[in-house]
Amino acid sequence: MKKKVFSVFACVLALMLSLTACGSSKDTASDKVNVDVFQFKVETKDALEKAANMYMEKNPNVKINIQTVGGGDDYGAALKSKFASGEEPAIFNIGGPQDMIDWSEKLEDLSTETWVSQAYDGTLAPVTKDEKIYGMPFNQEGYGFIYNKELFKKAGIDPESIKTFADLEKAVKSLDSKKEELGLKSVFAFPAKETWVTGLHLSNVAFSNEFGNVTNAFNAKELEFKYADSLKKLLDLQADYAYMPDGKKASLNSVDYSTQVEELFSLGQVAIIQQGNWAYGSVAGIDEELAANIGMLPMPLEGVKEDSIPVGVPMYWSINNAKSEEIKTASKDFLNWLYTSDEGKDLVINEFKFIPALKGYDADNLQPKDTLAKEIIRYSNEGKTMPWVFMGYPSAWGMDNLGADIQQYVAGDMTWEQLVEDAKATWAKARK
Amino acid sequence: MKKNRLEFWGFVGPAVFAFTLIVVIPLLFGIYYSFTDWNGISSNIKFIGFENYMEVFKDEGFLKSFIFTTKFTIASVITINIIGFSLALLVTRGLKMSNVLRTIFFMPNLIGGLILGFIWQFIFTKAFAALGEATGHSWLLGWLSNTETGFWGLVILMSWQMSGYLMIIYIAALQNIPQELIEASRIDGANAWQRVKHIVFPLVRPAFTVSLFLTLSNSFKLYDQNLSLTGGGPANSTQMLAMNIYNTAFKFNNMGVAQAKAVIFFLVIGGITLSQVYISKKGEVEM
Repeated sequence: MKKKVFSVFACVLALMLSLTACGSSKDTASDKVNVDVFQFKVETKDALEKAANMYMEKNPNVKINIQTVGGGDDYGAALKSKFASGEEPAIFNIGGPQDMIDWSEKLEDLSTETWVSQAYDGTLAPVTKDEKIYGMPFNQEGYGFIYNKELFKKAGIDPESIKTFADLEKAVKSLDSKKEELGLKSVFAFPAKETWVTGLHLSNVAFSNEFGNVTNAFNAKELEFKYADSLKKLLDLQADYAYMPDGKKASLNSVDYSTQVEELFSLGQVAIIQQGNWAYGSVAGIDEELAANIGMLPMPLEGVKEDSIPVGVPMYWSINNAKSEEIKTASKDFLNWLYTSDEGKDLVINEFKFIPALKGYDADNLQPKDTLAKEIIRYSNEGKTMPWVFMGYPSAWGMDNLGADIQQYVAGDMTWEQLVEDAKATWAKARK
Repeated sequence: MKKNRLEFWGFVGPAVFAFTLIVVIPLLFGIYYSFTDWNGISSNIKFIGFENYMEVFKDEGFLKSFIFTTKFTIASVITINIIGFSLALLVTRGLKMSNVLRTIFFMPNLIGGLILGFIWQFIFTKAFAALGEATGHSWLLGWLSNTETGFWGLVILMSWQMSGYLMIIYIAALQNIPQELIEASRIDGANAWQRVKHIVFPLVRPAFTVSLFLTLSNSFKLYDQNLSLTGGGPANSTQMLAMNIYNTAFKFNNMGVAQAKAVIFFLVIGGITLSQVYISKKGEVEM
């Protein structure tokens, strides 16, 4: 008898355990409006939490829960599993036209929001479909050739004079000839391991000029690769004068972002790197003084557009249309407050350290302080920018096809002609 | 009899329940999705028959990963088992240090694969480079920048991690060998090699079956170490099967094709490991 009781007990226990595991974890107690935010920008996690706390103080009926999952592919996969598990967030991030199509069932139309009128020209195009706007720009970012002003001065090169590819080439050769007296390992650090640097950012220089904007790139069935030769020159210039770990070009494939930015550039061992304003934090974390003394050179595409840098919106905020009206209203209000109220603007500039993608950040205390952000704003004001179009490449094409081919090209396993052919073929295949 | 049955299901039931929930149902779902055009997000899913499977056989990247994974598995199964068995022989010889050594050898197995990958990435790219520059051995420079160093990097990492674990299995087997047999062989004048060959090897054979199975399936399924050590680079040439499947699903948004690959992957691993177990079991000696 005792045994029987025991086995029944065991059964019940096991059943209970397995059931509680599946049970929902919704909090039933609070009557607050719960806004779940699922965002990708790790660097701004603390700032966003601070902003949420400030907002909650003013709006005690709203509870904002922030979850952060690190950039790129991880975020996409995590977002998919989040939705698949039924715990759909109210606010999440999408990247561009492809994301907008993929997530179209879930996106709330934001075209009637107040911030829309303040968006810079073109920033909303990637998330606009049938005159409806599905995303709010996070911020603007830009990249180019970051250089060490001190080293340029010592080498007697005036960075202001570098406006074309020929100028850049001359400066690089001059730096290369003075490597020893400047204490340089080489002129560039070229992280071929990071396919986003080569396959997305570098190639964008050619494709933004080919397509004009991200929507055209997204709609293109075929790739012409008009500026293949100019792109090759820009790539070769970086690769040939770059630091190679074992002296052979193939070893560029083991150079990663942290070697490029934190080790080689921040320690003054190379003079120029291709990176964006996000690198400011990494450099400043190692050498404040150097970080205050860097600038940005244009990324010249020979014979096409030589004095500009690519500037674009990396991600957009979106709202889940499946949530209740209450939650959606609170979500919209929070985003509006964050980007358009005086307090919010102050946070965006001084805590998030963003370059805003919305107008109206004119006050003196709302100017970005870091050197790279200032450079990007300077280029924007002079109208010397080209758009980001890599969000319009076929899914994963830029990194896994083009970036991987560039690695083979650098290693000498593929000629440039083969690379161009392969790029065209894989693009067309993906767009079939 | 009735009482017995209740007891039986009391213990087996929860396990069966959990197994069904966590393994069987997802497996069936997975097989279903492999016949659809699902992209991982949309709720409208179309049934497209064997199209995904055709796609897989046309995918060169998948074939390349398959070959790379097979080579890697062969190399790592051999090195891991040899090292594991040697370590076991070393620490069962009654050395004073043997308990400390066991702990040391087993330790890497306790570190997660991702972290291990990053540690070894640092060793290969930074420590090797520093050593190479100091001694002038150029083969130490530029590790992980080509397929060969990536391959051997993975094998070294995997051997370092798993050998200690196999050592434990082999120790258990070695300690099960009756001392009388060893003693008798000594009296008969067998030398150390003869003892290992004719007594130790046949008697630890069941442990070989288990160890081969573990290393085979673990090497085939490797993901975390691959991700953190080489990330599949350069040019996707060190991308193993699990990573290829993950990328198809989450980077290229091709959930259906990825599922088809996963089903094929499942059948292949199942086939290989089952036949391995069957073959190695046949030669085992009963005590």
